Amino acid sequence: MSSSPVKQTAITSYPKFIGRALWLATEGSFAFYAWMTVLTAVFLVGANAWANQVAGGMITTNMTDHVSWGLYIANFTFCVGLAAGGVMMVIPAYLYDDEEMHKVVIIGEAVAIAAIVMCTLSVVVDLGRPDRFWHLIPGIGKFNWPMSMLTWDVIVLNGYLLINLHVVGYLLYMRYLGRKPNVWWYLPFVFLSIFWAISIHTVTAFLYCGLGGRPFWNSALLAPRFLASAFVSGPAFIILVMRVLRVTTGYAAPTGPARTLIQIIRVAMTINLLMLVSEIFTVLYTGSAHAAPLNYLFFGDHGKNGLVPWIWTAIGMNLVGTALFFTPAALERSHVRILACLLVIVGIWIEKGMGLIVPGFIPSTLHEIVEYSPSLLEWKVVAGIWGLGLIILTLSLKLIVNVFTDRMHTDEPAT
Amino acid sequence: MTSTDPCNSQQAESKANRSLPIVENFTRRAAVKGGFATLGAAAFVAAISPLRQAAKSTTAVEFMQRHYTELSPEQKANVISRLEAETKEKYGADVTIADDRPIPGTKFVYAINLSVCNGNGKCVEACHKENNHDRSTNQSYIRVIEMPKGTMDMEKGSTTYSGIVPKDDKFYLPVQCQQCDEPPCVDVCPVKATWKEEDGIVVVDYNWCIGCRYCEAACPYHARRFNWKQPEVPAEEINPDQSYLSNRVRPVGVVEKCTYCLHRTRRGKLPACLEACPTGARVFGNILDKNSNIRWILENKRVYILKEELGTKPAFFYYFD
Amino acid sequence: MPRIASLFFAVLLCLFASVALAALWQSGMRANTPTSSAAEAQVSQASVHSNEAHPVIIRKPSGPPRIELAGTDPQGRTASVACSTCHSIRQANLENKTAATLDEFHQGMAFNHGNITCYACHNPNESDALRLADGSSVAYENVMTLCSQCHSKQAESFAHGAHGGMNGHWDLSRGPQMKNNCIDCHDPHVPKYPKMIVGFKPKDRFNEPSTAEHQQEGTAAHDKH
Ligand code: SF4
Ligand code: SF4
Repeated sequence: MSSSPVKQTAITSYPKFIGRALWLATEGSFAFYAWMTVLTAVFLVGANAWANQVAGGMITTNMTDHVSWGLYIANFTFCVGLAAGGVMMVIPAYLYDDEEMHKVVIIGEAVAIAAIVMCTLSVVVDLGRPDRFWHLIPGIGKFNWPMSMLTWDVIVLNGYLLINLHVVGYLLYMRYLGRKPNVWWYLPFVFLSIFWAISIHTVTAFLYCGLGGRPFWNSALLAPRFLASAFVSGPAFIILVMRVLRVTTGYAAPTGPARTLIQIIRVAMTINLLMLVSEIFTVLYTGSAHAAPLNYLFFGDHGKNGLVPWIWTAIGMNLVGTALFFTPAALERSHVRILACLLVIVGIWIEKGMGLIVPGFIPSTLHEIVEYSPSLLEWKVVAGIWGLGLIILTLSLKLIVNVFTDRMHTDEPAT
Repeated sequence: MTSTDPCNSQQAESKANRSLPIVENFTRRAAVKGGFATLGAAAFVAAISPLRQAAKSTTAVEFMQRHYTELSPEQKANVISRLEAETKEKYGADVTIADDRPIPGTKFVYAINLSVCNGNGKCVEACHKENNHDRSTNQSYIRVIEMPKGTMDMEKGSTTYSGIVPKDDKFYLPVQCQQCDEPPCVDVCPVKATWKEEDGIVVVDYNWCIGCRYCEAACPYHARRFNWKQPEVPAEEINPDQSYLSNRVRPVGVVEKCTYCLHRTRRGKLPACLEACPTGARVFGNILDKNSNIRWILENKRVYILKEELGTKPAFFYYFD
Repeated sequence: MPRIASLFFAVLLCLFASVALAALWQSGMRANTPTSSAAEAQVSQASVHSNEAHPVIIRKPSGPPRIELAGTDPQGRTASVACSTCHSIRQANLENKTAATLDEFHQGMAFNHGNITCYACHNPNESDALRLADGSSVAYENVMTLCSQCHSKQAESFAHGAHGGMNGHWDLSRGPQMKNNCIDCHDPHVPKYPKMIVGFKPKDRFNEPSTAEHQQEGTAAHDKH
């Protein structure tokens, strides 16, 4: 490694890089400022709603002892998928040495960073005692590791955040310095992050499927299903982001990666639907203990059918979205592609959130059917989380575009 | 976000000074940005201002309190006198909070005679009063399920029955914490706020729980309750005989559960729900004592446990005459 | 690239191995939780504990029943009479099995206790006492001896705390225990346990959508944003 000159200057030039990056990332057009203002406003509404929730107790949500997790954990689950899916693009990029994909990879990592922040926030707002958050910090708190799957999740999510911050930071920094990145400084981490992406989603699935008392979750298919849907929502989100970038900044990724992404979505969505069908068949045909929540979810039970519209909307969106992806138009026409992406993103958000977390609690462990639909306050908080997530995403994308379009690089001569 | 023109001009502008983009208008821009940042920060502070009210009810000492098992005897004494003072201040009631530890050589086990239980719900009420539950929600650690005769499938049952009991074609199944020997709720807790003690009781340190409710999701018996709000109990109704790990008035935002009334049972007394049961369906005792009632029941009656297939190994048995 | 691919695969393998190890470790921990092993070692001590310093007190009826007379005497006193006041001079109807034929003090009495005669339990020769199956007399206070002749199953359960209910202490080294007797819960003439009315119900469905008006209060405060 010929990095001795780097070492000398890195101490001073990396903070400079970050400072300048921040400065430039907050630089922009009127539309940009309007967009950021809207996001900030949404975020503030969410922050205010959450503060009210903490002050008034969680009675302000619509959760009960019967349905003790709701919209927050639903959103958490989706965001984990988004984070994992964002990085899985790395696999074709490096395994098949697809050079063009590299530009996309970095977008995927930026999405992952924003998504992880959203995950963490979704969990924090779900805590009854956020003031005791420090109990979760290994060393000063009391960390029930390795027994509790939640501690695994804390570890893998934070690790994932660090890895991605490193990879994105390093690649951009090198580009900024005008140097070729040293393979040994990032490739191992890229591979670590692939494996880590799988692990964050697997561990999150284990969080639910390890609970014997909840037959709806207690299925070995849960983790693979999570992964498959992550492979859909992640790429779909990236396609959307690339489109937005192209329109707003003219930063155009080559068409090759978009094709690859669509191929991935096609395969993953088919697998996802296949697993869903197989799960439904197993449960309904045998009429096992799993049947009650599934019945409630799809058809309603004892006149209670709060989730029925949700799940059929999700299924409809997923089917239409998948069908669109399979048409040749998805490759050629961007609005078809965008529509398909939006459909599957929303579809999977519902399927993994309201369609997976909530029915785990209905019927309850004593087989009572107590329904749940999120309160206005919960919607505000989740909107606030997305607001912050999108702020982070926007800033990091701006930074990426700035660096890749050479709008920003060092004034020091490259070594 | 899709408007393109301003962006392009911006792009063109910055292309002109690619490597030195921050020269022009630096101070003015910095001032504007600084202004926006200050505005944003101020708005944020205003948005989360309700937190101040919440922070008022949490003292620094309480915030810093260590886990129950790490408290020294003096620290424990301090914590307890602080909690007693708080109850006095917030509820206007004089209470004594003890720190009841397990009696060596005991393992508590409960049994219910399903042939006798008639579903009258007196135990539910007794638990409510004994454990200082929130009055407005009639909270209780016990639920009684009315089940049609001829099935053990809880899906066919209901906890919301009312009127005259027992109904001819029904039997009644009271459910509360089973004090599992392999408690899933303890395994999942990320901060060890809940654990199993030597006499078999699964307890919660209400001052350590972060309120994630993972344990509530993990418990197969609907035994855990979350404090969705600060419990309301009138001063004259507060049961002053309290214990740190048991029936002291719980803080908001934490999980609680049945403790087999350890503030009574660890002092040799019977649990409140048992004393309240008019049909004598409930039996409680120390399974390690060969001559105990509970031992005789397990040896001589047809015994059934709930959701045996989950491997939770309950310390709670149902039997038939 | 293939080298890196295999590296990746190796890392994956390591992860699974470590998860498996952790799972093993966890089951190992379960096997020797302090609860089971420590507690078992204490069994001998447990019997020391049940040195029963305190009694089990079974409540007893206060004695033979007396019939309250209607009205008062000129001094305003009420009076009651013993069963024997009348029955000592009357002929016992040993065949009677039903309340329908009863009159005077016993008129309108309900009886639903199997197909037995009054004098299966009441003593025809000594009306202020009860009668065991072998004809010997037993005091009203000891009614449980009488019941237990037929209901030996219940008596056995009762003796082991599995029937009848109790109060006080489970640990007799720390305090006494009070138990009911048969007729505290069962009317001997109509022994079936009476029906009851459910009085207390938890209201734990505070946030169900169907009761949406309630939760509106909770969120209304935040809507003004
Ligand atoms: S019944 Fe539920 S709360 Fe009680 S020990 Fe078992 S799992 Fe835990
Ligand atoms: S709610 Fe409290 S006791 Fe339950 S798992 Fe979370 S921290 Fe542990």
